[in-house]
Amino acid sequence: MVLRMFWVILLAAISGVPGLAEDNATEIVRAAIDHWRGDTSYSEFTMIIHRPDWERSVSMLAWTQGDDRSLVRVTSPARDRGTGTLMRDNNMWSYAPKINRVIKIPSSMMGQSWMGSDFSNKDVSRADDIVDLYEHTLLGTSEDDGHVVNEIEAVPLEDAAVVWGKEVLLIRDDHVVLEHRFYDQDGELIKLLRSLEVGEMGGRSVALRQRMINTENPGEWTEIQLDAIEYDVALSDRLFSLSNLRNPRN
Amino acid sequence: MRLLRIVATLAWRNLWRNRRRTLIMVAAVSVGVWAMIFMNALMRGMVDDMVRSGIESLPGHVQVHRLGFRDDPSINNLLPLNDAELAAKLDAAGLVAWSSRINVPAVITSERESRGVTLYGIDPERERKITFVPNSIVAGRFLEGVSDKGIVIGRRLLDALETDLGKRVVVMSQDPDNEIADRGFRIVGVFEAKLESYEETMVFAGKSTVQRMLHVADRVTEVAIMSDDYRFVEQTVQTVRDKLGADVEVLPWTELNTYLASMLTVMDGFALVWTIVIFLALSFGLVNTLVMAVFERVREIGLMLALGMRPFGILAQVVIESLLLLLMGLALGTLLAWLSILPLQSGIDVSAVADGMEMFGSSSVLYPKLTMADVVLANVVVLGLGFIASLSPAWRASRYQPIEAITKV
Repeated sequence: MVLRMFWVILLAAISGVPGLAEDNATEIVRAAIDHWRGDTSYSEFTMIIHRPDWERSVSMLAWTQGDDRSLVRVTSPARDRGTGTLMRDNNMWSYAPKINRVIKIPSSMMGQSWMGSDFSNKDVSRADDIVDLYEHTLLGTSEDDGHVVNEIEAVPLEDAAVVWGKEVLLIRDDHVVLEHRFYDQDGELIKLLRSLEVGEMGGRSVALRQRMINTENPGEWTEIQLDAIEYDVALSDRLFSLSNLRNPRN
Repeated sequence: MRLLRIVATLAWRNLWRNRRRTLIMVAAVSVGVWAMIFMNALMRGMVDDMVRSGIESLPGHVQVHRLGFRDDPSINNLLPLNDAELAAKLDAAGLVAWSSRINVPAVITSERESRGVTLYGIDPERERKITFVPNSIVAGRFLEGVSDKGIVIGRRLLDALETDLGKRVVVMSQDPDNEIADRGFRIVGVFEAKLESYEETMVFAGKSTVQRMLHVADRVTEVAIMSDDYRFVEQTVQTVRDKLGADVEVLPWTELNTYLASMLTVMDGFALVWTIVIFLALSFGLVNTLVMAVFERVREIGLMLALGMRPFGILAQVVIESLLLLLMGLALGTLLAWLSILPLQSGIDVSAVADGMEMFGSSSVLYPKLTMADVVLANVVVLGLGFIASLSPAWRASRYQPIEAITKV
């Protein structure tokens, strides 16, 4: 055991800790995603879609379970009330009460905007891809507000269904993602998700206000304000079913 | 026989009594014949080009699908036979070339844009003999094997996606359980096609790679088969039908792309109509010339009749005069057409109207195609109908009463 420790330290000293750093970086990302979702969660939030000539805000409820199930339902404005999105595994369904129809989002629409925001359907449904489909490297650490911030570069694997050249995450030591930057394959910043406000809620530190900014159109952004969140709530399996998406019983 | 020789000599000499009129008529006939042959060659070239590029992009002269695939080209309509079974049956059939492939609708996405396309999972080795793409690579390389992890896309799609050779794109489709199947591909090659729409909608990847992505093991959606000549595919269709049994749909290109097939038939009709229309215009000039020639020689004809020439001789004389005129015009016109098509065979650039040409599936460079059939058609029509047209003035000339004719002022 002691011998093994010795070897690890020696190797690390020689090679500048690449392997170790990589595992470490992956762990940091995984911990951040787990922290953000919790095992189960219930949250209330408001999404503000901002454009140069108009702004619109939508209030929603969301339930999540593990990393592959979530349900989002709109509560206001009144004309959108009841609109819902269900994500299960890698699939996504949308329910529009006005036409009383559940529509499965086809693969062709995964790249399109979710409810008119700057998030794509894929951003919303496949958030945990960042752990499995990328190689992570710890670029460096810095101090911020008494916390250590890890800067991690995530490069998609060769056959990953990801268009970005690389992504850079700033993750605080209490697992809050401060910034998530998306670069194209020429290394140009395309869009970024920034946490504007971090605080305690539901017993954890979380980003209370996040903004998705499109760097090519600075006047367009989408903000998500967390109004309330509870972690480790008891959720029934039935919650994430198509019939519940259509006829809410929760 | 002797009569004919005399009559022919007379006709030939009569022809040159009014040199200018004859030369004008010869010029008119040759321009007409030139127009017939040249236009037909142009149209033939265009239709031929459409058919060829249409077949290359189908591709293949014959295709095999599951029944119903053509109505709903989705991944659920896989061929009932897998790759190994197809190979066992088709390799033994003695075909010129065949290739199995997967084609499904898909979405291709770059950092900035996304487009709907048809994703083809192909076997590059086999495909070389069938489709145009391996020979149309303008940057990078073609796929190198069924497991190649790269993707080959068209120049216009590359521009539309604002991406570049060597970058990664994401292709999304659905697997047979309607689950999303997606994967990243690196762009390894860029192709250019005669038709812009091909460049925008066709993307090619390795067959095995696509099969893995779509979770379909070793199944395919389509088999493309070549025969020796696109005009004669019935034999190949029959062979393949016998080999593969009744639960697949084996169709020649004429039924896969009925538009192309009907173009070919329409073209034959068009050639005949065009030839006759030009001839009708010509025939007025011809008949007019003959009527004038007869009218000038009324006294002379009366004299010949009075000296004992049979009316048939007069008739033959006028008809032969007309045929000689036409023959000279035809020879000159055919020569003219041949000479004018020869330097254009490397193609006529009509890119100024490329958009219109694209609409009916033709490219922006025309290659005129001179066929023996069209030349013969033009010559036979002109000679045949010219003969009939000249009968009327000739008949009238042969019916003159000698006395009246001689005394006519």
